[in-house]
Amino acid sequence: MDLFSGLIHGFSVALTPMNLLFGFLGAVIGTIVGILPGLGPLGAMALLLSLTYGFDPTAGMILFAGIYFGAMYGGSTTSILLNIPGEAASVITVIEGYQMARRGRAGAALAVAAVGSFVAGTISLIGLSFLAPTLATAALKFGPAEYLAVALVGLVIMSRLTGGNLFKSLLMISLGLALGTVGMETVAGYMRYTFHQPLLAQGIDFLPVAMGLFGISEVLVTAEQTMGKVQLQKVRFRELWPTLVEWKRSFWPMIRGSFIGFFVGLIPGPSPVISTMVSYSVERKLDKHGEFGKGAIEGVAGPEAANNASVGAAYVPLMALGIPFTPAMAVVMAVLLIHGINPGPLLMTEKPDLFWGVIASMYIGNFMLLVFNLPLVGVFANIIRTPLYLLMPIVLLLCMVGVYSVNNSMLDIWLMVGFGLLGYFLRRLKYDLAPLVLALVLGPMMERSFREAMMISRGDLSVFINRPISATILAVGAVALIAPLLIAWIKPLFARKSDKTA
Amino acid sequence: MKIGSIGFAALMLAVGLIYENMALNMPRGTLAYPGPGLFPLIIGLFMIAMALGCLVQEFLPRKRANAPAGSPAPIEAPAAPEERDVMKTFQLTALMVGYIFALKPLGFPIAICIFLAIAIRIFGYRKWLPALAMAAVITAISYVSFVVWLKVPLPMGILEEVLG
Repeated sequence: MDLFSGLIHGFSVALTPMNLLFGFLGAVIGTIVGILPGLGPLGAMALLLSLTYGFDPTAGMILFAGIYFGAMYGGSTTSILLNIPGEAASVITVIEGYQMARRGRAGAALAVAAVGSFVAGTISLIGLSFLAPTLATAALKFGPAEYLAVALVGLVIMSRLTGGNLFKSLLMISLGLALGTVGMETVAGYMRYTFHQPLLAQGIDFLPVAMGLFGISEVLVTAEQTMGKVQLQKVRFRELWPTLVEWKRSFWPMIRGSFIGFFVGLIPGPSPVISTMVSYSVERKLDKHGEFGKGAIEGVAGPEAANNASVGAAYVPLMALGIPFTPAMAVVMAVLLIHGINPGPLLMTEKPDLFWGVIASMYIGNFMLLVFNLPLVGVFANIIRTPLYLLMPIVLLLCMVGVYSVNNSMLDIWLMVGFGLLGYFLRRLKYDLAPLVLALVLGPMMERSFREAMMISRGDLSVFINRPISATILAVGAVALIAPLLIAWIKPLFARKSDKTA
Repeated sequence: MKIGSIGFAALMLAVGLIYENMALNMPRGTLAYPGPGLFPLIIGLFMIAMALGCLVQEFLPRKRANAPAGSPAPIEAPAAPEERDVMKTFQLTALMVGYIFALKPLGFPIAICIFLAIAIRIFGYRKWLPALAMAAVITAISYVSFVVWLKVPLPMGILEEVLG
C-alpha cells in the first residue's frame, strides 16, 4: 500500500463513528490533563492503559494519540493565563506567554499557540506519514545485532539528554533492565528472580510499574505541595484574533518550530521539552524587535509549534521499528502488546487498519483540537479550579481499580503501590524515571536480540561492528556518550591557552 | 538530601550484588549458546558499577557531584512550592496499604468509599459528612462504571450476598 492509498484507507478507518468518538475523547482528556498541573499526558495514559484492554487496539491508539496531542494544546493555556505550566513541555511558553497576557494580549498568545500547534501537528504528521513507511521498509533489513544497537544507543542518548546526572540515569537503566529479567526466561523456561512466587513467573507487568511510577508517585508528590488560589486572566472571544503584524511575526517561528520539533522528536529523550528549549533559543537569537522577556509572540509561536511537532515524530521509531524512544511511547506500545500486536516494520503491512488509521486519526484529532480549543479556551482554563481534594482521590481510585481490572490480581496492586513509593523517592532524590521505564520495556527485546546475534555469529562479538548498520548506530551512541565529556575536558584547555595569548 | 542519595546508592549497590550473586548461580552457557544467566550477569555488573559511580560522586566536591563533566544543563520542571507536607505521603501510603488489606474482606464498595472519604480529608477538605457524601457519590459512579458496565470482577466481600 503506497502512501496515498494508505492515507485514504486510514481516513476510512478513522472516520468511523466509534474511532471519531475515541479521537474526540482523547483530545478532550488530553486538553484537560494538559491544563491540570500535576497530571501530565504520561500519567493520564498510564491511568487509562488498563481500560484499553476492553477496546479495539486501533481505538486505544487513537485515544492515546488524542491525549498526547491534546496535552500539548492544553499545557499552553495555563502557561499563558496563569503563569503555571500545565505540563513540562509548556514551561518555556510561560516566559513570553504570560508577559503577553499581562500586556492584554492573552487572546492573541492563545490563538497563536493553538494555530502554531495545528500547523506543527500537520507538518509532523506529513513527516510521520513519509518517514515511518520508509524507515519500516529499511528496517526489514535489520537483524538482531541492529535491533540491539538501536535499543542500546536509544537508552544511551536518552541518559545524556534527560539533563540529570549521567550515573543516576545509567543506574536507572540498569534497574529497568534488571526488572525486565524477572520471570520465566523464554528459551529454556528457566525461572529467574521469581523467589518461588508463581505469580512472578510471567515477569513484572508493565502496567503496575507505569501506573505506580507515573500515577501514584505523581499523587504523592502533589499531596505534599500546597497550592494557593489561582487568578485567571480574563480573555474575551473578540480578543482571540491576533493582529496582522502578530500573524506575520509568528509565521516563520511556527514553521521553524515545526521542523525543530520534528527532528528533535526523532531523538530518544524528553523531546517535547527539549524541542521547546531549542526553538525558544533559536527565536531569541533571530529576534529583531528586542521584545524577548517582555512578551515576544515569536517566543510563544515557535516553542508551542515545536512541542506538538515532536509528538508526531515520536511515533516514527515506534511505528517503524517497534522501539519506543520516550516513556509515553512505551505506554502506547503497551496498548499494542496487551492485544498481542508487536509493533515493528511489519505493522504497516500486517495491520494496515491500525497503522494508517492511527495516522489519519491524528490529522482529524489535530483539527478537532484547533476547532474546540480556541472558542472554549475560557471553559478549559477554568478546569484548573477543580479542587485537588476531589481530583487526586479520583486519580487514586482509577489507579486502584484499573490495575486490578487487568489480571484480577492483588499482587498487581501491591506492585503498583510499591513502584509508586519507589517513584516518589526517586523523584525526591532527583533520579529520572524515564530511563527506568524504557529499559524495562526494551530489556527483554535487547536480551532476545543479544542471544540471537550471538547464536547466529557463533559467539563472535565483532558481529556488532562488522555489520555496517549496527556499527554506524553504535558509533553514534559512542559519540553521544563520549563527545560531551571530551568537549568539557578540551574547553578549559583552549580557554587557558587564549588567556595566555591575551 | 545527600544522606538520602547516599542511602539509595548504597541500597542499589546491595541490590546489584544480590542480583549478581543470583545470576552467577544460573546456567550461563557459552557466548555461542548463551544461557539464561549470561544477560543478567552483564546487567548485574553494570548495576554495581553505576551504583558505585553514584556513591563515589556523592563524596566528591559538590560541583562535580551535581554535574558530571559534559552533561547538559538540567531541564527544570515547573518550580515546585517550597513548603512540603511529608506527613501526607505517609498518610496516603498507609491508606493505600489499608485499602489493599480491606478490599477482600469488606468488598470494593465499602473499602473504596472509606478510602475516598479519608483521601478527600488528607487532600485538605476537613468536614467529615460532606467528605463521606462525596465519597459515596464517587463510589456509586465507579461501581456502575467498573462493576456493572465494564464487568470488572472486583471483590464484594461482606456484600457478596447482597450485590453478588
